[in-house]
Amino acid sequence: MRRKVMVGVLSCLLLAGCVPTHIIDDILIVEAEGYDYIGHNKVIGTVTMPNFVQSGNQGGQGAGLPSTASLIRSLSVQTYNGKSLVDRLQSEGQVAIQAGKIRLMLFNLPMAKHGLSIQMSFRNRDPDVPRDLTLAVVDGSCKKLLKATDYQTQIPVSRYAQDMIMQNNTQNYPDSDLSSFLYAYFGAYMDPFMPIIQKNGDHLEMRGLALFNHDKLAMRIPDSKVFVFKMLYQNFTLGVYDLEYRPGRHIALRNVKTSVNYKVRHGNSASPDIYTTIHVIGQVRQAYPGSVSKVKTPQVARIMEKGLASDARQLVRKIQKKGIDPLQIGDKVRSFTYHFDGKSWPERYRHARFHCKVSVIIQQTGITD
Amino acid sequence: MMAKANPINDTHKAGPMAVFFLTQTMQIAIEFVFIQQLVTKDSQQDAWIAVLLGGLSTFPVMWLILRLLEKERRYGQADLFSIQRRIFGKLIGSMLNLIVSIYVFLYSVTYLRSLIELLQVEIFPQLSTLVFSVLFCLIVWYIVMGGFRNIVGVSLINFIYLLPLFLSNVFVVPHAHFSNLLPIMEHRPQQIFLSFFMNTHVYVGFEFILFYYPFIKKPEEAKKWAYFSLLTTLYIYLIFIILGIVYYSQGEVQKTIWPTLTFWKSIKFPFFEHVDIIFSIILLWSLIPLVSLCSWVLTRGIKFTFPKIKKKYSLIAILILTIVTAYLIRDGQQVMMLTRLFNIIGFIAIYCYIPLLFLCQWLKNLFTGETA
Repeated sequence: MRRKVMVGVLSCLLLAGCVPTHIIDDILIVEAEGYDYIGHNKVIGTVTMPNFVQSGNQGGQGAGLPSTASLIRSLSVQTYNGKSLVDRLQSEGQVAIQAGKIRLMLFNLPMAKHGLSIQMSFRNRDPDVPRDLTLAVVDGSCKKLLKATDYQTQIPVSRYAQDMIMQNNTQNYPDSDLSSFLYAYFGAYMDPFMPIIQKNGDHLEMRGLALFNHDKLAMRIPDSKVFVFKMLYQNFTLGVYDLEYRPGRHIALRNVKTSVNYKVRHGNSASPDIYTTIHVIGQVRQAYPGSVSKVKTPQVARIMEKGLASDARQLVRKIQKKGIDPLQIGDKVRSFTYHFDGKSWPERYRHARFHCKVSVIIQQTGITD
Repeated sequence: MMAKANPINDTHKAGPMAVFFLTQTMQIAIEFVFIQQLVTKDSQQDAWIAVLLGGLSTFPVMWLILRLLEKERRYGQADLFSIQRRIFGKLIGSMLNLIVSIYVFLYSVTYLRSLIELLQVEIFPQLSTLVFSVLFCLIVWYIVMGGFRNIVGVSLINFIYLLPLFLSNVFVVPHAHFSNLLPIMEHRPQQIFLSFFMNTHVYVGFEFILFYYPFIKKPEEAKKWAYFSLLTTLYIYLIFIILGIVYYSQGEVQKTIWPTLTFWKSIKFPFFEHVDIIFSIILLWSLIPLVSLCSWVLTRGIKFTFPKIKKKYSLIAILILTIVTAYLIRDGQQVMMLTRLFNIIGFIAIYCYIPLLFLCQWLKNLFTGETA
């Protein structure tokens, strides 16, 4: 018996000595990475690290006020595209730098235009990287965005940007994280997208969507049209659609529930028919005086339907012209077609006929008539 | 007969429900972590059909096994080693016993090495195969020395520990693309059969009842637990393959070595990060009863062939051999080759050899005039 207990104790002791340990106070965990492309396959890479030292804000972990005992918070270096920043910056680390929990990855516009294939292959291979990582394209310089110290919030910029993007993903912006990006990146007949963010003075802001052609930035959707994109992309429950029904006169539809449904006919023909049915249940709060009332609701709904449908058609025509497929229409056609002809799809995609039917139900128009 | 003269003491036997946990342990080790990549290779979105067929095909095999064992009970000890010796005679029987022992040995080494590979890639690159397998085998030694009932107990704990891993599938629902499952039955039967072949090794393991059947009390009642366990396994694998298909696009799932593990990386809780690492460590648990049962079966085999060698000594020899073999497998490429090899052997074992054995037993009984 004693021998058996000894074996157990010995196992525990020996097992603990098996591999090196990483104590959280003694390492720098990279939370955000930014890549600025400067031409000739060279990038400026920036990383930021939160501090897990005792801070002014009790219990705030690294999120509190930086105290005098804090470690270095950001590093930046020029290197070739695809170099692991953790490896490259190790020589500048105060203590060991590690990629334990990367939250945010930023690329500037030239980087996105140059292509992210090297970065994505690296990200997909690295087991240390979580899949809920937030990706974004930065309008401006990633280095400036990450290294800036003039933000209103004291929370590290990595969490600030991630929080902002994630809360917007529940609103007008479609879900976008590493897993959904890689889904579309590796999947056939679809292309990925990311949100665009920008540093504006002392805060960050969302600037629309960046649509990719496989790994290269192909086009941008402005912030005002992102609702239409999301409506075609997924079912969702929040968000606001602003319609200018006459110059200078706006009605804003606050979404309660949107559901989208695709049907495809003649999937293997030269010009497949794609039928989209969208049901929007919404409410109106903000409207031009006199434009809405209980009586006028159906009328307003018709205007909304027309506006949404024409916006949707315009958007799809644009992406069809560019030959990109962020809405994953090709995949929908595949799922509706036996023995789908994938080889000729890129050509047929341009000629696909897109039919869009939107029905809007305005649930309520506020507390005044 | 010698085996008859040495019946198993009731205090060493386990209840009929043990069959459920042991079958679960042997079938669900760590395959659910990588099943998706292997199976979707040939039949893409129809892979779940292959998995369903694979699971259903285990039922008739289980029926054959139970029938074989029941018939054998009147002739002596109803385990595979005795059966083979009785049917094929001493020489051929012993050779077959040796082959079966190699199969069991391969079973434990394949899984042990796959897990070490997973841990090395995902969490601890510095983890030494040798040191880890030595420590692992110490735990196994401790459990096997405790006897059969001890292994059943560890299997029960393993079943409970794996539950959160299966429940984690809930997190896939918000990200699921159910249209990925369409169009259904697009692939030719040959392609689905190829997938069916590739997923054989995820279902093997239930045939271990051939070895521990004499240790089950009231074997008639154990039948339903055996079938129930197969049903549970089928359900779990079906869920995991559907997870792989709806969460990943086909291009991605075929690039990912451990799709389930990669999926765990996207699970997020406010209070702790890296669920995937916690779950990978829990996976370790599923291997302890598996390697224990395999080693136990091997000691039984040695005791059957050479009754003079004590379990104490044979177990140490087996574990040393396990450690050495695991250590000799150097990298992921060799682990993959081993898994492939094991897949073929498993296919032959359950779909060819067991029906053949059933047939031989029937013929033997026919010729010796003892009809059932």
